[in-house]
Amino acid sequence: MLRLWIAVFVARLVGMLSRVSGRGGSSLPGIVARRIDPEVLRKLSVRLPKGVVLLTGTNGKTTTAAMAAFLLKAGGLRVVHNRAGANLILGLTATLVQASRCQVYPPADLALLETDEASIPKASEETHPKALMVTNFFRDQLDRYGELSTTVGLVKQGIAAMDADGWLLLNADDPQVAFLGEDYGRVVYFGLDLNGGDLGSLGQHDAVDARFCPRCGKPLVYRTQYYAHLGDYRCGHCGFVRPIPDWVVSEWDRQEGRITIRSARDTVALPIRMPGIYNVYNLLAAVALSGTLGAPLGPMGAQLETFEPAFGRMEKVIIQGHTVWLALVKNPVGFTQVLQAVGDSGGQRPKWALLVINDRYADGQDVSWLWDVDFERVHQAQHIERWWVSGVRAYDMALRLRYAGIPDHKVDVVQNPSDALEHMLHEAKADVPLYIMPTYTALLEIRQYLTQKGYTRHFREG
Amino acid sequence: MQKSGLQILHLYPNHMNLYGDRGNLIAIQHRALERGIPVEVVHAEPEAPISWRDVDLIFMGGGEDSHQARIAEDFLRRAPELTRALEDGVPMLAICGAYQLLGHYYRTVNGDKLPGIGFLDVTTEAGRPRAIGDVVAHTTLDITPRSLVGFENHGGRTFLGTGAVPLATVQLGQGNNGQDRTEGAMHKHAIGTYLHGSLLPKNPHLTDLLIRWAVDRDGNTDLEPIPMDLELKAHDVILSRC
Ligand SMILES: [Zn+2]
Repeated sequence: MLRLWIAVFVARLVGMLSRVSGRGGSSLPGIVARRIDPEVLRKLSVRLPKGVVLLTGTNGKTTTAAMAAFLLKAGGLRVVHNRAGANLILGLTATLVQASRCQVYPPADLALLETDEASIPKASEETHPKALMVTNFFRDQLDRYGELSTTVGLVKQGIAAMDADGWLLLNADDPQVAFLGEDYGRVVYFGLDLNGGDLGSLGQHDAVDARFCPRCGKPLVYRTQYYAHLGDYRCGHCGFVRPIPDWVVSEWDRQEGRITIRSARDTVALPIRMPGIYNVYNLLAAVALSGTLGAPLGPMGAQLETFEPAFGRMEKVIIQGHTVWLALVKNPVGFTQVLQAVGDSGGQRPKWALLVINDRYADGQDVSWLWDVDFERVHQAQHIERWWVSGVRAYDMALRLRYAGIPDHKVDVVQNPSDALEHMLHEAKADVPLYIMPTYTALLEIRQYLTQKGYTRHFREG
Repeated sequence: MQKSGLQILHLYPNHMNLYGDRGNLIAIQHRALERGIPVEVVHAEPEAPISWRDVDLIFMGGGEDSHQARIAEDFLRRAPELTRALEDGVPMLAICGAYQLLGHYYRTVNGDKLPGIGFLDVTTEAGRPRAIGDVVAHTTLDITPRSLVGFENHGGRTFLGTGAVPLATVQLGQGNNGQDRTEGAMHKHAIGTYLHGSLLPKNPHLTDLLIRWAVDRDGNTDLEPIPMDLELKAHDVILSRC
């Protein structure tokens, strides 16, 4: 007990000092706490009445976790949740350690922790989660994790360490994710049941992996494909089929920005202001998770009217009268989806885009993935009339656009991101919506610039 | 039948397509089309029939181990026809896993030998840790510039036999095996390499060489020069890390 007490308070002090000294380092308190008491995460989570919920997957973690935490809080629960980027074991530890200023234990009913796939085994082993949600598996930064099957294996280890009464919440439309539920009793599936005809399926070129049956390895057959490998599939060889979802989006009105979600408990119509089908999945996942954990469905429609997207996840900022959207891009499927959402959000109006591509560790050091983004098919439909390209790997990006058939005169390369943004703001007419699509460290650079310039009050790093 | 352009055979695009290998095809298509050479890409998955005499250029990428296992049998079955085409001078770009399969064998951590077609006199041993990072290498090919840049990400260590010619000498990165500073291997017009990145977009001189070989196997036909400004700027970003 004394050891835990020291670990928590020393770590908090360190966190406070590092914030005061302007060093963001959100994992530092985690390092300190675990050094003093390696059991700190285990001891803190065991005291949470409703336990720990882990949320993982390649894309959508941050937005889904932010929405689920929002809905759970609106439903009357006290929730502690981590900031984006603090999703490794040290970040999770830091989150629980810093949940309160004066008490040792987090004053919360549950902890909702967005968790990087690589940290899932350890996080699950230490917290024995009461629920574990997996959003999707796409190819991500291969230079970090090796192969997709490695990632799936890590999540399997996490499932094995769950609480005996824990719920496994899985995306039914992703074959690899759904397959995780085969040997598990308490599974909640979520998925879409939409007419695929007019949705346009993009991103055919990535995550090739998942188009094969996870049980027998033969190619899957799709009845509907929403994007990449997400859809209604079956294996003609071994009979593996997409599970029937317990939570299902049965309608999506793109003009009105509303979706209808059906479950055994209720059918609700909810507003969705963020464009793109991937955000339909994110909202569905958040509703399925918070609903399963006891949040009432009835008031969610009204509650969601006030939801603000997490930082850089299709977030709207007004800069010098310009409407600027910020959307993180980090892998082929995600980038393709963001581009499609750009088209969804502004209709036929001409738009300008700023792509900022870095290749630091957190971005993925191999920029090969840019070649798997479906610029060929996307760029014509999205009415982007001018492209600004920036970042460490600006020329790779510009070349990608050239080879996708975008004429050179529509593309400007300005290597410094804040210079690029200033040029763009200077030249754009006020009624042209601007879309900034940065990789992870580029997003942080853009944020720093916007904050320095006072364009934004403050950023929730969510 | 009169040929109107280049036919590129893309082997196993669904199984062997990691790390933006598609960028290599896009680059070949773009630089051929810019010169008015139409390109047709033919995809071949396992068991698909291939009309070898129509093929002007072959491309095959890397894949996850489980995928490589799925196509290996089919690839070996095609060895006689593929070897004949390569001996005739059909150019081929084989990256990572495909490069390994052009060699004699790949020996796994368990000691199992997975056979390749042995067109390149190389062998590969499983190794740890993975070689990951930027690569700058100096090639023996007669192209300008002499530098090749890319990104490697492989567990296998490939060793060259006496019959193999290295594609390049490594200046930054691990290359074939992290020991002898060689990268890749060549025989006739077949090139095996570990370089992703994607390779061809930012090595336009190598792209042009492959197109030249595809147009005329003797390599006597000069291609119309087209700009490579942006390509070489992307190239130089990596070159400057050396
Ligand atoms: Zn099957």
